[in-house]
Amino acid sequence: MRSVGHPGCGLVPRASWPVGFAIGLLSALCVLPAPAAAQSAAKAEAYTPPRTPEGLPDLEGIWQPRTSGAAYSILPHPGGFFLGAESKTGVVEGGVLPYQPWAAEQVKQLTQHMELDPTGHCHYEGVPHAMYFGFQLFETPKQIAILHENMHAWRIIYMDGSPHPKGYAAWMGDSRGYWEGSTLVVDVADFNDKSVFDMAGHFHSDAMHVVERFIPVDRDTISYQITVEDPKVFTRPWKMGFPLKRAAKDYQMLESGCFEGERDQAHLKEGIATLPPDHYKQ
Amino acid sequence: MPKGSCGIAALATAALACLPAAAQTAAPRTAVGMPDLQGIWQARNAASFDVAEVAEGREIPYRADALEREQKADRVDPVAHCAMAGVPRITYMPFPFQIIQRPGIVVFVYEYLHQHRIVHTEPREHLEGIDFWLGDSVGRWEGDTLAIDVTNLGDKTWLDSARHTHSDALHVVERYTRTGPGTIRYEAAIEDPKTYTRPWKIAMLLHRHAEPGFELMEQECTEGDDGRAIHPYYRPAPKGDPLEFVRTYPKEVSK
Repeated sequence: MRSVGHPGCGLVPRASWPVGFAIGLLSALCVLPAPAAAQSAAKAEAYTPPRTPEGLPDLEGIWQPRTSGAAYSILPHPGGFFLGAESKTGVVEGGVLPYQPWAAEQVKQLTQHMELDPTGHCHYEGVPHAMYFGFQLFETPKQIAILHENMHAWRIIYMDGSPHPKGYAAWMGDSRGYWEGSTLVVDVADFNDKSVFDMAGHFHSDAMHVVERFIPVDRDTISYQITVEDPKVFTRPWKMGFPLKRAAKDYQMLESGCFEGERDQAHLKEGIATLPPDHYKQ
Repeated sequence: MPKGSCGIAALATAALACLPAAAQTAAPRTAVGMPDLQGIWQARNAASFDVAEVAEGREIPYRADALEREQKADRVDPVAHCAMAGVPRITYMPFPFQIIQRPGIVVFVYEYLHQHRIVHTEPREHLEGIDFWLGDSVGRWEGDTLAIDVTNLGDKTWLDSARHTHSDALHVVERYTRTGPGTIRYEAAIEDPKTYTRPWKIAMLLHRHAEPGFELMEQECTEGDDGRAIHPYYRPAPKGDPLEFVRTYPKEVSK
């Protein structure tokens, strides 16, 4: 596996061995996300957000993610109708997903059957998929509510130290959180196996476990960083992240209906024709 | 209205609004001193099946032409197609909902079809030229009562599954008053001059879920893509004899 189009690395076509070897080294270096991560961590420590009336770090407000087209694909991807605008980076650390071999085959199937995408049927996106869209965050001492405009989805994060329920499976999973200083950490489990990470069909099983970190960077920025583990589908845990930006002051969330009689998913098949044959290289 | 503004004297409306606050000092308060409606609530009645049950005088004052319009309309309850329930129906759907309060904002999180409303308690004009399934909500405090003025509701939602409908002129004023540790009195004044001969009211108690560890759960509707697939008996009645649908009901279900 190698990274395709990581930031600063550029896309380099096939080359003869010595050049290819050099490029291999270069891209290996580029895969290391250290500088950016270290920088945001340092910034986060330097910034202390104001407090809510109840004395909690104040992350309330309407947040709009900057996702490099993650809704289309969380990996680096070219532009086009289906994959949206080009992203040379994607949002996954290192630009690759550590699929088990059977799962990598399954993704190819799902990519070619976009009409199966559950969000096209107005289902919940799940986590982290729902986080690619704007949301409003409300904090109380025992619960934090995240309300999404898209798909009128919501999530309540329980902050009272209670455990995940047993025998529960949900599109949005079950969220239990705690504070690490000013960082909100949310442990999300109890997923069903139906939601996907993006329209390209990157998927998970019901064994998925997500840990989200909302790291305040400055008044108008949260660094959203997550770790995903799913031993049924991936060979190791992996990370992704993107910044959340505070919406303009007069911005308000409106209603998004979605399910209003849509029965025309079949036309989405046409979108697949716009995919370049080598839209992924893994 | 913030509590502090009661100190400002004289304005007749302000004085009226302050009266109940003074009378009900026992009502719980939020961290910033607002009347506390927070918690998980649920109606315990059959209003979502027939809203006349909670209507004042058990009567809905239909105009004759509206009744006729209703008889000719689609017989499929919109919620059978996974449409959002509308206001006031969302309040008395047989599912719990949670109220969360922040300074200047009251948030309603409904288990039913994962809907939500973010109600700001500051006066503003209603939006123009846009409809929402749950309408456009403008909140205000009348003493300890939260009043929400709701318009822009469109004409697609029903008040219940008994096909009590309304037009796009529907205007609802909801009132939420905490009447005890475990109850909120819910009232909705309903007017729609295209449908009803006069404004009318519904009222009910909302009961608090106080069971330890009670939480809202996820409720998804579109699994199967189409309400008719989930509820075959909701398919539209055949043209002609409207009672044929009722007669064939058990057969339809068994298909």
